[in-house]
Amino acid sequence: MDWPALLPLFLTASVEWVEAFTIVLAVSLTIGWTASLGAAAAGLGTLAMLTAATGGALSLGLNLYLLQFIIGVFLLLFGVRWLAKAIARQAGRKALHDEDAEFRATRAKISQGDWFAAWLIAYKGTLLEGLEVWLIVVAFSLHSHAWAANGVTALIAMLIVLAAGLSVRAPLRRVPENAIKFVVGAMIVSFGTFWTLEAMAGPRLPLGAWPLGDWSLPALAVFFLAGGQALVPLIRRRSGLAEA
Amino acid sequence: MKAFIKTLFGDIRNLAGVAVIVAVGAAFVAAGYGGWAVFAMPAAALAVVAALAGQ
Repeated sequence: MDWPALLPLFLTASVEWVEAFTIVLAVSLTIGWTASLGAAAAGLGTLAMLTAATGGALSLGLNLYLLQFIIGVFLLLFGVRWLAKAIARQAGRKALHDEDAEFRATRAKISQGDWFAAWLIAYKGTLLEGLEVWLIVVAFSLHSHAWAANGVTALIAMLIVLAAGLSVRAPLRRVPENAIKFVVGAMIVSFGTFWTLEAMAGPRLPLGAWPLGDWSLPALAVFFLAGGQALVPLIRRRSGLAEA
Repeated sequence: MKAFIKTLFGDIRNLAGVAVIVAVGAAFVAAGYGGWAVFAMPAAALAVVAALAGQ
């Protein structure tokens, strides 16, 4: 079990499932719960097939360093985007993600279309939000081989969000999404930097790329969290925005 | 399909930023300064994050 990976995985999955739930909830008000949950289930089914196909392709026996490099680059692609967006939002350069606004926008889109168009919105919403969860599960599982633990963690996050969402039948607006994205973004950039460099330099250096080994990961996370926080006032000042 | 690709890779600026981070690490390793890459690569990553956040 790769415990350090479970927390970012759980948080990432929770945030993505909240976004998917908002879309499914908006669609359910037009085509009903059965059809919208059916569309969400179809989206999750597509993701399951994708996971099975990925597992099959990866069992072909790729070089460990090549795998680490691919995982590292994917995590950088994902983490850099999340951390940059979280900083921009905290600095006031970008509007905070608003589940109520997302809910209203989805409702407006559905009102212009028919039953199938609404079904497709729920399907696509679940598939695209779930795709980010899939990415993280695959990336962490390739390293730790803890496919079951990581998959179950993502499923637990989904069940918690679903239970909370169905109990209030409203967009889950109290989730501190930007704070979560800030922390998770920093953690994912840390993992991405760690694995990418390990893959490039590891084979050439006697102790591997990172002298502290896995203990370099918390140090990297602190560096990116502190660095990200330091960037917020700088970006705010550069944009001419008042201090909050 | 476009949304699928964008979800996986982000936009062109994101791709370019990650290419810079990897290039910095690769340059240090290729020049025989792999030990210094542990400082250079995180610094490059934070610089890319700053550039993307400031746009």
